[in-house]
Amino acid sequence: MSQLVYLVPMFPLIGFLINGLGRNVLPKPLVGIIGSAALLASFVVSLLIFNEVRTPGFSAVTVNLFDFIHVGKLNVPFAFQVDQLSVLFLLIITGVGFLIHVYSTSYMHDESPSSYARYFAYLNLFVFSMLLLVLGSNYVIMFIGWEGVGLCSYLLIGFWFKNADYNYAARKAFVMNRIGDLAFLIGIFWIFAQFGSVNYADVFSQARPGASAHVLTGITLLLFIGATGKSAQIPLYTWLPDAMAGPTPVSALIHAATMVTAGIYMIARSNVLYSLAPATQGVIAVIGLCTAILAASIAIQQNDIKKVLAYSTVSQLGYMFLGLGVGAYTGAVFHVMTHAFFKALLFLGAGSVIHAMGGEQDIRKMGGLRKFMPVTSITFLIGCLAIAGIFPFAGFFSKDEILSRAYAHNPVLYVIGILGALMTAFYMFRLYSLTFAGKFRGTHDQEHHLHESPAAITIPLIVLAVLSVVGGWVGIPEFMAPNAHVLSKFLEPVFANSHVAAPPGEIAASTEWALTIGSLVLIIGFCTWGYMKFKNFTLAEVKESTGLAKILENKWYVDELYDAIIVKPINWIAGFLNNVVEKLGIDGLVNGVGKLVQYGSRQIRLLQSGQVGIYVLLMVIGIVVLFVLQLFFPNLI
Amino acid sequence: MNVLILSIFWGIVMMFSGIALKKKGIATGLAIAGVLILLLGNLGDMSTVVITTSTFNDMLAFRGYNVLFISIVLVATLMYFLVSGREIENVGTGGFDYYALIFFVLTGIVIASSFNNLLMLFLGIEIISIPLYILTGSDKKNLKSNEASLKYFLMGSFSTGIMLLGIAFIYGDSGSLAIVPAPSPFGFSFTSLPTLSAVGALLLMFSLAFKVSAAPFHFWTPDVYDGAPTVFTSFMATIVKAGTFIAFFRMFAGGFASVQGSWGLAMQVIIFLTLLIGNLTAVFQQSAKRMMSYSSIAQAGFMLLAIYAHNDMAKEGFLVYTAAYVLATIGVFALLSRVADPGFQGFNGLAKKEPLLAATTTICLLSLAGIPLTGGFLGKYYMLVATAKAGGPFWLVIFAVICAAISIYYYFRLIIAMYFKEGNPEMAPVSRGLKFWLVVLCVLILALGIFPYEVLLNNLLSL
Repeated sequence: MSQLVYLVPMFPLIGFLINGLGRNVLPKPLVGIIGSAALLASFVVSLLIFNEVRTPGFSAVTVNLFDFIHVGKLNVPFAFQVDQLSVLFLLIITGVGFLIHVYSTSYMHDESPSSYARYFAYLNLFVFSMLLLVLGSNYVIMFIGWEGVGLCSYLLIGFWFKNADYNYAARKAFVMNRIGDLAFLIGIFWIFAQFGSVNYADVFSQARPGASAHVLTGITLLLFIGATGKSAQIPLYTWLPDAMAGPTPVSALIHAATMVTAGIYMIARSNVLYSLAPATQGVIAVIGLCTAILAASIAIQQNDIKKVLAYSTVSQLGYMFLGLGVGAYTGAVFHVMTHAFFKALLFLGAGSVIHAMGGEQDIRKMGGLRKFMPVTSITFLIGCLAIAGIFPFAGFFSKDEILSRAYAHNPVLYVIGILGALMTAFYMFRLYSLTFAGKFRGTHDQEHHLHESPAAITIPLIVLAVLSVVGGWVGIPEFMAPNAHVLSKFLEPVFANSHVAAPPGEIAASTEWALTIGSLVLIIGFCTWGYMKFKNFTLAEVKESTGLAKILENKWYVDELYDAIIVKPINWIAGFLNNVVEKLGIDGLVNGVGKLVQYGSRQIRLLQSGQVGIYVLLMVIGIVVLFVLQLFFPNLI
Repeated sequence: MNVLILSIFWGIVMMFSGIALKKKGIATGLAIAGVLILLLGNLGDMSTVVITTSTFNDMLAFRGYNVLFISIVLVATLMYFLVSGREIENVGTGGFDYYALIFFVLTGIVIASSFNNLLMLFLGIEIISIPLYILTGSDKKNLKSNEASLKYFLMGSFSTGIMLLGIAFIYGDSGSLAIVPAPSPFGFSFTSLPTLSAVGALLLMFSLAFKVSAAPFHFWTPDVYDGAPTVFTSFMATIVKAGTFIAFFRMFAGGFASVQGSWGLAMQVIIFLTLLIGNLTAVFQQSAKRMMSYSSIAQAGFMLLAIYAHNDMAKEGFLVYTAAYVLATIGVFALLSRVADPGFQGFNGLAKKEPLLAATTTICLLSLAGIPLTGGFLGKYYMLVATAKAGGPFWLVIFAVICAAISIYYYFRLIIAMYFKEGNPEMAPVSRGLKFWLVVLCVLILALGIFPYEVLLNNLLSL
């Protein structure tokens, strides 16, 4: 079955082609069915492959499709690698992707037929690219997918391209990503220069004898910079909150569940390299933790429902990088999975709310939606509990695994990590409380229209809510139940070499119990605080914020900072080059050459007089000159 | 051998069928059938299924490279007939005579590409030339056509004289008509010829340079190309040019390759002048037809690089370059011969009226300019790399690159006229068949640029 893995990306590609090319003729329902069916088919194939991969003793399979680049020493096959890691991502991408496609059929219903088809075409293209990214058996194929998802992200953020702000947000995302991509690309070149190959199998097997620690540190740092772009980490995270300009299901699929975890996938895939470069791991852990804290602090003061979720995504991605940094690869991948469930759930829930509110996204103008939208409210609550890390919801297990490994690594990381988790608990329940609890604060007109969303929206919500509850049970930690960590055993072959290179630290079960229970109590406390504080919020309380609150509301002024230290100087240099260097120097040179050519052309043309006698004369002169040159000065040049 | 015999035979068949068959369209059909038969014969040559194994006492040789080259010429001729058949018939009455002459030219090309003897070279070149004098003047009632024919004949005779003189010098010095200089009796290998033979070789080079319209022997080209009926200009600029070039290539990149000391510098000067004059003069032309004739001079400059370099890469590149150049030029002339006004303004707005034709012409022009993904790019690349590898002067390589850049100016002028200028060009109706074959032509050009080995060069390796 794993030989048929090319079917998985092929279905979305076909869907993209059909919907993209037929966007002006296909009726809406058909477009939705094609788009969703492509994903369903991929999901089914993925499940079958998973069934093969999960048998014990399965070893990674490489499926060669064709020779992609074959130049000199560089040999890049277009090949897919089926192993535990890629198949897990396959399931997440196609499974969650399918639910979001179904959801979109209802959510995007007000679009005109052609832009409805355009939406599904982009979405299918995105899934195709993402599948390439995780399936590729070498860095080049991964990079193709990497760029493909970046392009689709750009297209979908700017989906409503008539709004200039949205276009600006799309452009910002693209440029930010390009900065990271450049580093990633240089990293790939370096890998090729060092190992003579870009295939995972070759690179990883040669990692230890083939490169010094310095070289590996350089390579891994470059790859990590690439990851900070795609996975929104400091310093390249500012595009993600702006990316909320896209339709909400897009935010759920691309900017929460799948694309932004590409960086985590890349590092987890390259875990062998990272385990041999502890310096890079330190950087990753610190950057991840800082991002987690910074984004969580900003989320506390945001009032746009999607912005809160966006910052929480940045923050959760920070946790995943923390996990990667401390060598908890399984934990990071586990968190990718649970996060995909509950964050997709939260975004889709937010979409359902926005849908009902007629486009309103400011949570201060909501409130009391619980009684109008029971399904959305309950599933959203489950999402909040999961992200906050309450036992036994999914987030608890994955976050706990990362944090306990961080503790084993260095208790300071753990303390700061818990701080972030407490903030998460607070702002998530602030969000829930402002949206669903208390009294409705919107206009009368809006209240009249409040309604529960249709089945195409609520069913994905319910499915994701169930997954947000049970999703964590595949990773029950050792100290609670021995041998219950199914995921860890499943992924063991992928990370085995790393565990040999850098064995994970051990902590006593009693310490783990104490830490877990202690943090759980604190988190529950913060949840309650966040919920109670904003339960009876009224619009009258809104006043100009001051001090720290104001700084948080303005996102630590990071955008302004970037503008001042990067964008403005670059603009100035570009202006200088344009007005001075180009106008005075290059233009003169180029136009001068052009004029010279034209002048020469006019003169030489005159030779062509039309008279045979002159032609023959010129030929004879030519013959004589050439004779003299060749016979008397044969070595002239 | 097959192609030689068959082309003579088919030329005669075409001549006499003109008496019996009067209906329009038959001539073209018969000619296409003829080319197909020639191609079959060519396949036979490749796989040693031959009518006769005689090589006239080794005066001709039908081996790998030449045979493959002939097949390029034949495919090009086939495409030429397919896209220009109607025009050929429209020139005179029925077209049988002209087709017959074209087949005789093919005979000449076959000899010129497989000679082993200087007399055979002379014979081949003359068999190519004489029908061309007639074809140039085929538009009998047009003064320009007559003038061009006479000019071509006068200067052609002049160059024939030079060639014969050269052959006489070589024979006088060495007592042999073989194309490879006689080895030294003491077992030395020389890098240059004795003076008398060297003079002969240079004279031979000048006359061949005249035939491939390299500067400073190119003066006939613009006038003749301009005066001849466009459809025959197309023939001269492509198939004939390729045919004379292979003679040049065989003579200097084959026979005289070992004695480059005696002709290298003159060749460098010729290449330099050809590139310079061809490209610069093309810039200022107001007529697309005249621009194409200068372009043909400029392209000859690039092809001469292969003769100068004469290594394996040059040999492969020469095939790619010739194929790409010939096909693309046929494609451009197919449009040129249908537009009423051959000036650039005659193409204004053509993309709106005939989008497909504009697109195919654009691809052909891009290939001529050497834009990647087209065969033209690969050909230019091969030429430059071959020259650099052969230790040719580096300034010449750089100069060639600059000239390629200049060429973009005049090729793109046509594209700009078609796509970005407003206008309503007058042109003859375009049949669906023509469009189809032009698309095939473009596919060939692109395939040559993307899969050169699969399309062409692997055949060379297998021969």
